[in-house]
Amino acid sequence: MYESLAGSILLGYMSNRVLKGRLLRALAIGAGRVSGQIIRRLGVGGGTTLPGLIAEKIDRTIVADLAAQVHGGAVIVTGTNGKTTTSGLIASALYAGGLEVWRNREGSNLMRGLATTLLNRARWTGDIVSSARTVCVFEVDEAAFAPAAREIQPRVIAITNLFRDQLDRYGEVDTVAEIWRTTLATLPTTTTLVLNADDPTVAWLGRGFAGRVLYYGLDDHGLALPSEEHQDRQGQVIDARACPDCGTDYVYSIRFYSHIGHYICPRCLWQRPEPSVHITNVQQEDFDHSTFCLTGPAESTRLTLALPGLYNVYNAAAAATVATALGISLAAARTGIESFTPVFGRGECIAAGDRTVRILLAKNPTGFNEVFRALKRHRADISHLMLVLNDNTADGHDVSWIWDAEFEQLAGLPEFLVISGIRAADLAVRLKYAGVIPSSGQSHELMAALPPRQNTLTWTVEPDISHALDIALEHTPPGGALYIVPTYTGMLAVRGELERRGYVRHYWEGSDHHNHA
Amino acid sequence: MYAITGKGVTTTTMHEQERRESQYTLTLGHLYPDQLNLYGDRGNIIVFRERCHWRGIQLRVVGLGIGDPLIPDEYDLLFIGGGQDRDQAPVADDLREIKAVGLWAAIEDGVPVLAVCGGYQLLAHYYRPAVGPDMPGLGVFDAWTVHPGPKTPRCIGNIAIRWGETTLVGFENHGGRTYLGTARPLGYVLKGHGNNSEDHTEGAVYRNAFGTYMHGSLLPKNPHFADHLLLLALRHKYGEDVTLPPLDDALEWQAHYAMLQRLGVGKVAQPVGSKVQ
Repeated sequence: MYESLAGSILLGYMSNRVLKGRLLRALAIGAGRVSGQIIRRLGVGGGTTLPGLIAEKIDRTIVADLAAQVHGGAVIVTGTNGKTTTSGLIASALYAGGLEVWRNREGSNLMRGLATTLLNRARWTGDIVSSARTVCVFEVDEAAFAPAAREIQPRVIAITNLFRDQLDRYGEVDTVAEIWRTTLATLPTTTTLVLNADDPTVAWLGRGFAGRVLYYGLDDHGLALPSEEHQDRQGQVIDARACPDCGTDYVYSIRFYSHIGHYICPRCLWQRPEPSVHITNVQQEDFDHSTFCLTGPAESTRLTLALPGLYNVYNAAAAATVATALGISLAAARTGIESFTPVFGRGECIAAGDRTVRILLAKNPTGFNEVFRALKRHRADISHLMLVLNDNTADGHDVSWIWDAEFEQLAGLPEFLVISGIRAADLAVRLKYAGVIPSSGQSHELMAALPPRQNTLTWTVEPDISHALDIALEHTPPGGALYIVPTYTGMLAVRGELERRGYVRHYWEGSDHHNHA
Repeated sequence: MYAITGKGVTTTTMHEQERRESQYTLTLGHLYPDQLNLYGDRGNIIVFRERCHWRGIQLRVVGLGIGDPLIPDEYDLLFIGGGQDRDQAPVADDLREIKAVGLWAAIEDGVPVLAVCGGYQLLAHYYRPAVGPDMPGLGVFDAWTVHPGPKTPRCIGNIAIRWGETTLVGFENHGGRTYLGTARPLGYVLKGHGNNSEDHTEGAVYRNAFGTYMHGSLLPKNPHFADHLLLLALRHKYGEDVTLPPLDDALEWQAHYAMLQRLGVGKVAQPVGSKVQ
C-alpha cells in the first residue's frame, strides 16, 4: 500500500526520538491533510479515510491526542443496524440543544475515518481549537469499537442493537458482544452508556458497568408481533435466544421484531431493565412519518419523526437519550429530531427526472425484514422494485444470510422487479423459493413496447447495476416511485449511478455539522 | 418439538399449476433449529420444502430441540446445521445422551442425513479445540477435527468441489480442520479449502449420511444434490422404483454456473435429468 510505504519512508529518514511529540503529530497532520487535498483535487474520492490512515501510520496516538483536545468530548455510536441514522439524529438533537457537532463521514467509521475527521479540524501545530460546546459524534463500526473507545475515551457510548451481520468479517454475535463487554470494563466511571433496553444482548452490557447507564425502550403493547407470529417462529432466526449467564432461553411477554422486546430469564430472573426514556403511543402515520411520545424522568414530549419504520423510532429514542445524557432537554432534542431527514441511502428520497427513487439500505436479515415490514404496513407502492445483492468486503463475502431474511413478505407485491448486483443470480434463486418470482416458466424477456400489466410480475436478473438502474427507471412510469433495496456497496453503486446522471451530490460535499442538507 | 408450519403440513406458497397429486409424504427431522442455524441453514430446509411442494410431495418438517427424543422410524430425512461455539457444547451433550441411539439406527437403516459445518463436526469422532478438552462426537464419520489455534486463519470463502460427475458450489467458514480416516470424502476441492486445505478432500459420506462444510446455503444452488437427498428419502420409504419428476432449475443452475465461472472452474458435466440454461 502506497500510504503505508509513504509513512515508513518518512519515519525511516527521521529518528523517532527527535520527532516525538508535537513535531511528529504535526508531520502526521500535514501528510494526512495534503493527501486529502490531492485526492479531492484529482477527483478520485472524498479523501474521507486515507488522510487518517496516513496520519495514524506516522503518529499512532494521533486519535487519542486530538480527541482529548475537544472540549465537549465525544459520543460514540455503534451497533449492527441504525448507526448512521442514529448518529445523524444525535447530531441534530445536540445542535438543537445549542452544541457544535463534529461528525465522521458516512462509511468512514473505522479508526482511519475518525482520524481523518479530527485532523481536518486540527491546526498544523497539532492543536485543536474547540469551544466548551463542541462535541464529536462518531459512528463506529462494531469491529472498530474496542480501539475507538480506548483511544477516544468518549463521554457517552450509545449501542443500538446486535444482530447477525457479515459473519465472515465480524464473527459470531457472541464474539462481538464479548469484545464490547471487555472494552466497556476498561472505561472510566465517568462514561455514560446509552443502551437499548429491548435488545437483551445490548442491555446485558449495562450489568455491572461501573458508570452511569441510561436505557431506552418501547412500551407500546399495540406494536407487539401478532401472537401466532410470536408463538410459531416459522423457523425464524433469532440471534439472542438465551441468557448469557445461565444459558436458559429468555421468555418474552412481548416481541416487537426479531429478538427485540420484553424478556426475562426464567432461571436467574434477569429481565429487561427499566428504561430512562420510554417510547409510548407510537402511531405510524404513513411510510415516512411516525408520531410517538418520549417520556424521560423529568419530562415528556410528543414528536413526529420523518423516517420510515419502527427501527427508526428506536433510533430517535437513542438520540433523545444521548441528548439528555449531555444535559439537553427532551424538548430541545425533539426540535432537532423533528427536523431530521433521511440520510444517504437510509430511506433517502431522490428526484430522478420526473420519477422518484427511494433507497432503503438493508445489509442483514433483520435489516431486510424490517424494511419490508415497514413497506408492507404502510402499503407503500412497491410495484416498481429493484433489489441489489453485492458480496464485497463491506457487504460480507458470504451471502447465505439471504436465506435467513423473510423475502416471502414480498410475494405478490412488485409488478416490475429488477434483481441486480454481483450475486443477483443467488438473490433470484432466493426470490423463487420465497414465491416472489414464479417457480416455473421462462424469465420474462424485457420488451420496452410492452408495459407491465396489472398484477402480473415482470422480472429480470441484471447483475450490472448501471444497466439494471436504466431498466428499472425506464419501466417506472412518470410521476411514479422506484424503490431500491440494496446492500451496502450496492447502495454506494446505485448512488454513484444517480450522481453520474446528475440527480444527487457527492456525499462528501454534504454538511457534517448537522443534517439539514 | 415444533412444526415449522402451524398445521405441520407445509403449504405456504401456492403454485397451483405446479401441484400434482402425489401419494408420497415425507417427514424431515430438523435437529437443533434454535441452536444450529448460523449460516443460512434455513435455506436448506426451504429448498427441501419447496421442491417437495412443487412435486406434490407432502413434506412435514419437525424441529428436534435439546431434550427431544429422535425416534428413527418417524423420520425419512434428517438435517443438522452449524452454530455458535457457545451453543455447540449443549448440543454435543444432547446428541450423545439423548439422540445418539436413534440417530445411529436411522443412519444404519439408510435414512439420508445432511450435516453442515458444526453438525458435520459433531458427527465425526471428536472436535479438538485450540485450548481445552476434546469435544466427543458421534463417530458416524471416521474423521476428526482439530482447531490449529487462533493464529491460523479460518478457512473462509467461496468453494467449488467435484461431486461424482458434477460439481457442488457453496461458501465455507470454519476454524477447525477435519481429517478423514476411512471415511469417504463427499468430493474433491476444485477451488477453496475443504476439509483441511491440505488434502483436497471435502466433506464425508457414510451410508446415506453426508457431512460437509459447504453452506451458502448449500442446496439452493445445488438442486441436483437436493434432489439426490430427496430421492434417497423417497426410495428408502417407498422402494427403489420411485423417480422424481424434473423441475425447471434454470435459475438455480444460473447461480451455480455463475459461481463456477467466478472461481475459474469449468463446467464438469451436466447432471442427468436437470434442465440447464
